[in-house]
Amino acid sequence: MIEFKDVWKRFKGTDAVRGITCTIEDQEIFGLLGPNGAGKSTLIMTMSTVYRATSGEILVDGHSVNTEPGKVKELIGISFQDPKYDRILTAREILQWHAKVTGVEKGVREKRIDDVLTKFGLTFEARKRTWMLSGGTKKKIENAKIFVQRPKVAVFDEPTAYLDVPSRLLVWDMIDELRDEGSTVLLATNMMDEADRMSDRVGIVSKGEMVQVGTPDALKGTLKGRDIIEMTLEKPIPELPAEMKKIEDIQDAHFEGDTLVLLLSNGRELLPHVINIATAKGAKVQSVNLKQPSLEDVFLHYTGMKLA
Amino acid sequence: MKAQRHELSPLSVIWLLVERDLRTLVKSPWILINRTVFFVIQLFVFAVLVNKLVASTIPGFNYFDFYSVGAVVSTITSIAFIIGADLFEEEEMGLLDYLLSLPFGHSLFVFGRALGGAVRGLIYTAPMMLLVAFIDGYWSPAGILGSYVVLFVLATGISGLSITLAMVIRSENRFDVVIAMAELATVRVSAAIYPLYYIPQALQPIAAYSPVTSASDLIRWAILGNASGVGNLVILVLFVAIFFGLGSAFLFKRLEGGRFE
Repeated sequence: MIEFKDVWKRFKGTDAVRGITCTIEDQEIFGLLGPNGAGKSTLIMTMSTVYRATSGEILVDGHSVNTEPGKVKELIGISFQDPKYDRILTAREILQWHAKVTGVEKGVREKRIDDVLTKFGLTFEARKRTWMLSGGTKKKIENAKIFVQRPKVAVFDEPTAYLDVPSRLLVWDMIDELRDEGSTVLLATNMMDEADRMSDRVGIVSKGEMVQVGTPDALKGTLKGRDIIEMTLEKPIPELPAEMKKIEDIQDAHFEGDTLVLLLSNGRELLPHVINIATAKGAKVQSVNLKQPSLEDVFLHYTGMKLA
Repeated sequence: MKAQRHELSPLSVIWLLVERDLRTLVKSPWILINRTVFFVIQLFVFAVLVNKLVASTIPGFNYFDFYSVGAVVSTITSIAFIIGADLFEEEEMGLLDYLLSLPFGHSLFVFGRALGGAVRGLIYTAPMMLLVAFIDGYWSPAGILGSYVVLFVLATGISGLSITLAMVIRSENRFDVVIAMAELATVRVSAAIYPLYYIPQALQPIAAYSPVTSASDLIRWAILGNASGVGNLVILVLFVAIFFGLGSAFLFKRLEGGRFE
């Protein structure tokens, strides 16, 4: 179990993490969502003893990050967002050194390395110096360090960035397998489909605070209007959002480009009525899309962000 | 349940950190070749030429032998200074985050890095030292072993000095300038490549207490049989104790305070 208790981290007068309190259960896959600069990486670095918390407490398996950093580091393995290893070395050398330094038993070390390299299809590339490899391959090697280490607490920061679809699916399967073996997984990601598919629970971090925690479905349910109507018009009509908001079940209405976005309840029933209002206001409707809110909508809602 | 991990002793951790330095060293043979070629040219062109010039003015003084030892000491000094730049590079590439997240204490990390820098320097200069002993005609295993010990001790102290400067300066650009000046001062204001007597009088007291002077004189004593006082040993040990301690303390403080904030 990982317990964050009112954790603060300040850098030169700026609070990167602001009073985060949260618990991650054993063998849980916990998705950490947040925009760039929200404090996800700082939280991970603090948990893994690279940074020292300004105040508060983090317990990993009952061991305090502040007073027993050595014990904590024995339990954790981190796959960083940007691959972090000596790029002059080959993948095999990197994995061998990582396995040794993280205490993987000598008897199983080479077999695990071979297994992981084979799964990633890197047996040939493993002989090349890593600076020569593609971004996706470098990322696979970064992930491979953790699959070889198989730590009690595995942290993945954007594990599928730069990866193609088959590789993403493979990494997801391997993370699932790691959890099934007994690991607790902290998954920091900006990919909502990844968080939705992988996470038992999700925590949304915004401006250093944990603004929401829950299962993906529970979080989707917290939005006022669960349904979304996206109506693309030939050209936006400025007064239309205000007109729509007069309807009781419509919680929000705004334009994103030429598309009118409505957050509402009972979307299916209200759809004909909404189209009638739009056409009555002179709108030429080009397409209409009714959908359930996604985790992306939840994310945008709680972080206060809008699509560019 | 997760499999038990194998516990690492502090010595194993230090060895693994040194091993990492050695693995990267082996992958960059051109740097080694480059430095060796430079060394050989200095020895067989510069030192031979100056030896001929000096022979006529200072009868009995073999400048080639004198310089050959100083050149090895200068080379290891220059290599040991690189460790500070390595720390900046590791920070810039994010490697420091990775290394600090691994299951060993920050103090072991600091110790291992400084030691790794010293071992790397020794490996670079070990063949040069052998060459010097061979061409100077003093082929005593004890003397060569003693020389290696002196070179290693000096490299440890210089690594400490480099780490101290890197931690105090905190800017890579400024560090590059300061380290170049420091290298120039420690090598040029010393009796590594010219006898103390011929150094400008104002600088002689500084050069006399330079660890590079001490290391050079100790090696000349070990393989050439020149006179050397216990003072040289004391200066060298004090230098290492002060700067290895300072460097470790500064780096440890920076890391414990939350990395390079």
